[in-house]
Amino acid sequence: MNTLTVARFTLQEAISRRLILAGAILSLAFLGLFVLGFALIYHNSSELSGPLSDEQSRAMFGTIMSVMGLYAINFLAGFLALFLSVGAISSEIDSGALHAVLARPLRRAEFILGRWLAYAGLIGLYVGLMAGSLLLAAWLISDYAVPDPVRATLLMMLAAIVLLTVSLFGSTVLSTLANGVVVFSLFGLAWLAGIIEVIGGALSNQAMLNIGTAVSLLVPSDAIWRGASYYVLSPLYLAGVSANHEGIAIVGHSPPATAMVIWSVLYPLTLLGAAVLTFGRRDL
Amino acid sequence: MSLNLSAEPRAAGVAAPATVPAIETRGLRKVYGRTTVLHDLTLTVEPGEVFGFLGPNGAGKTTTVKILLGLVRATAGEARICGLPAGDLAARRRVGYLPENFRFHDWLTGAGLLEFHGRLAGLSEEERRARIPQVIRRVGLAGRGDARIRTYSKGMTQRIGLAQAIFHRPDLVLLDEPTSALDPVGRHEVRDLIRSLRDEGITVFLNSHLLSEVELVCDRVAIIDRGRVVRSGRLGELLGATSQLRVTIDRVNDDLLAALKRHAEVLAVEVIDAGIEPGGASRTLAGNGSVTVTLAVDDPEIAPLVAETVMRRGHRLHGLVPVHRSLEEVFMDLVEGGEG
Repeated sequence: MNTLTVARFTLQEAISRRLILAGAILSLAFLGLFVLGFALIYHNSSELSGPLSDEQSRAMFGTIMSVMGLYAINFLAGFLALFLSVGAISSEIDSGALHAVLARPLRRAEFILGRWLAYAGLIGLYVGLMAGSLLLAAWLISDYAVPDPVRATLLMMLAAIVLLTVSLFGSTVLSTLANGVVVFSLFGLAWLAGIIEVIGGALSNQAMLNIGTAVSLLVPSDAIWRGASYYVLSPLYLAGVSANHEGIAIVGHSPPATAMVIWSVLYPLTLLGAAVLTFGRRDL
Repeated sequence: MSLNLSAEPRAAGVAAPATVPAIETRGLRKVYGRTTVLHDLTLTVEPGEVFGFLGPNGAGKTTTVKILLGLVRATAGEARICGLPAGDLAARRRVGYLPENFRFHDWLTGAGLLEFHGRLAGLSEEERRARIPQVIRRVGLAGRGDARIRTYSKGMTQRIGLAQAIFHRPDLVLLDEPTSALDPVGRHEVRDLIRSLRDEGITVFLNSHLLSEVELVCDRVAIIDRGRVVRSGRLGELLGATSQLRVTIDRVNDDLLAALKRHAEVLAVEVIDAGIEPGGASRTLAGNGSVTVTLAVDDPEIAPLVAETVMRRGHRLHGLVPVHRSLEEVFMDLVEGGEG
């Protein structure tokens, strides 16, 4: 019950601090720009597509534009997760505002879970609305229907929730500034490792593949994005990639491994448990 | 802006049995790294009393309060609130707390803060709705409950902090520097609030640097220095043990001083007015001035004996006033005099 009270309090805070309003305005601006850019490029696609048939052209542009749009949303959701949670606990401790709250009959675990629930809900809503709007726009403009929008969106939500949980855990043990530095570095590291893994795959370099896999285990956010992106790619695009051994470096060209999906679900749950334990033992 | 001091009925089923101490610590110890903040702190606060907890900065006062609330874990020892292990949820249900820095979520309104804390304290929606205006009025914030806390002055923020501390009708209220941001009128009002809480049977644990405040409102005090209690007891005992008599007379001489010394230690001889005739050890006034002799006495009841001694020697007695040492003087002696 107290968990829900804290979650509600956290949502009230986001509304009161105009976080939701600012996020909504910027998101609308992003979507507007995407729709405008996509429409302009699509209507000039005959000049760019060369010998491709209409169907091939639609699939290629639909795939590329949807993937690029979702990639941007994935980044924005990652940043949102980090900004929301980087000081979720540490800044409350530093300011002293938490003392009166935790003097109440409230378990620290309830406080952490309430915070996490509210942030995860906000991020889930953000990714759902943004990805849904973007894919709808892509379909209306180019008649391109993404093969599996639900799986793609759910995996994107998971990627952002992974980052949220890393940041929330960091907030229980580090100062806000130190946590920000660490979590942004991990975010960048995961992205870099994804690129290394793709290049390693293209060069058949096992060491590079291993590095990519190891970092993906440490911070699976980029690996989850690659899994999500696979469900956006059209079969025609995938056939072309398979034939030419070329593709976009930032997407996954094979479905996510079941083990990776399981790890990606267990990962935030484990970190959330760790956050509860470390915060529970901390002197305030 | 003034406090409304009318007593409130206590919530059914929340009163602690009168025989169980409101606070009890035994051998409480807290170590941070190589620094020992609390050494063997043993303390008992009886239910229904106003207890002053005093000490210089770094003495361990706030650490003690945080251990009582479960915000900090003791390295060793035991602490109980109303008979329950300190920090347990059941113990925290019975406690209200005003933190030292009184920082609250400033995006909330005053009423919103009480609503949030009321939910966490387990008050029903009906209770919260009824109590919010009552408590806001009680701390002198009537008409400002719907304003955001970020628009409050320091004094108003401290008042809303007091409101959240007493909102759920606790058995024990821990107040950490409750008047530090208030003007003299506000301080007076908070003293009255503390007294009214005592009248309702609520125990108040007052952690304060403002010794004059403590002196005015507390039944018992403990003075802590470097993590140890150096003195505790009823305020009257602490101050009464070192009381003084101030004797104001027309003149003084060696004979009188020797006679007074048979009853008490002479602490000081002070000439109040000018016009002293030279005369060796004897100081006699030429005009309408007076001399004040300050005596340290164990028992203020010797005052009539002192008066008789003065008058038998032909001196005019202008005044005879028992003077208690202030808490500040006792405090300074204890924390600087090496007892800690």
